[in-house]
Amino acid sequence: MSYDTEHVRNAGDGPARITGLSTFTALLTNPDLADLYTRIRRSAGITAPELIDHVSISKKTVYDYLHRLERAGLIVEADAKSSGTTSTYEAEAFELALTIRGIEVSITPELVAVIAHSAEYPVITRVCDEHGFVVFALAHDLIKDHSEGEITIRQIAELADLSTGTIYDLVEAVYAIHDLGDDAEAPTTYTPDDVAGDERRSELTD
Amino acid sequence: MAETAAPYTANIVDTVIFRTLGKAPSEHIESLKQAVAAAGTELWVPPAVYRELTDSGQEPPHNPYLDSGVADGWIRVATPFSGDRETSYESVTDPVQQARYLADDYLNQGSKYPETNNWRDAAVVALAVRLFEENTRIRVITHTADENLARACARIPPEFGYYDIESRHYNPPQTAKQRFPTVESLSWHGK
Repeated sequence: MSYDTEHVRNAGDGPARITGLSTFTALLTNPDLADLYTRIRRSAGITAPELIDHVSISKKTVYDYLHRLERAGLIVEADAKSSGTTSTYEAEAFELALTIRGIEVSITPELVAVIAHSAEYPVITRVCDEHGFVVFALAHDLIKDHSEGEITIRQIAELADLSTGTIYDLVEAVYAIHDLGDDAEAPTTYTPDDVAGDERRSELTD
Repeated sequence: MAETAAPYTANIVDTVIFRTLGKAPSEHIESLKQAVAAAGTELWVPPAVYRELTDSGQEPPHNPYLDSGVADGWIRVATPFSGDRETSYESVTDPVQQARYLADDYLNQGSKYPETNNWRDAAVVALAVRLFEENTRIRVITHTADENLARACARIPPEFGYYDIESRHYNPPQTAKQRFPTVESLSWHGK
């Protein structure tokens, strides 16, 4: 049976329990928790000892966080007890959508992956704390548009109402975290011949 | 018969490139200084770029990215442009101002969000046209991490009869740290 009510859609075999909602929001404010979830998401089948080797938090905290993520349904532990091997973990995709004062914002693993790098890039925490999560999410998405050539950095600053200095720092962070951009050895060089076919509106010159 | 000297090559550099290199002194800035000398060029920035990189929290305001290069004479800050965005295009006759309008419009046309103010972006294009207007034997190379702006730099000057322009786009932006401060990037390729 599937459901399609006002608040519950596509519940599959039944309305599965969603618990630990605070863990979802904690992913935005706890970079260590975000880091653990992101590592599991990027390395399906990773074990707890492997995680402990790669994070800066204590072994006890790693296991506390694993239990917390598991209770919230954000990760699943493979049944290893019968096989006698070390447990492995896999992350579940999710999307937490909020609508506040008419603005819709979605919390997704992609944004959590950026939060996970807050210690490395202080601008992430600065934007979230000083301007709020909606502005952070907006700037994040616009930077992805920038990587597709659809917007300039100064246009991002204007649309997100952030200083260009802040945007430059955030651009560097998001590009590095998501590995955006191409792998060319040299910058792309455009000449007049290369862009001669670019249409330009005529009304300014009429 | 005497050989004709090669045209002067000017390099116009956008804010993001200097941000990527970091504040002076640094090994990247030193590499840039040496590359500029070896390439026989100068770096030009529009006033808007200089202002974006200025630390106005200090008294007097200080530009930690550009001031040492300006003092040494290998970075040049252009004098302010006349006109503003509120003036109607029809009343403008100066090619430099016209180029700025056209670049602003071109950037919005190529943008996913076509209602933004691109006046500072457009200053990079306007500076290229000004250098062409003021120098008869000149080539211009522009450097930015914005693809639309890179295309505008190559697209707009030919509308005023200036074709000796190469526009370099660094993607991702942080690659400029290694790829910009080189003789190769600062030299005319003429492809």
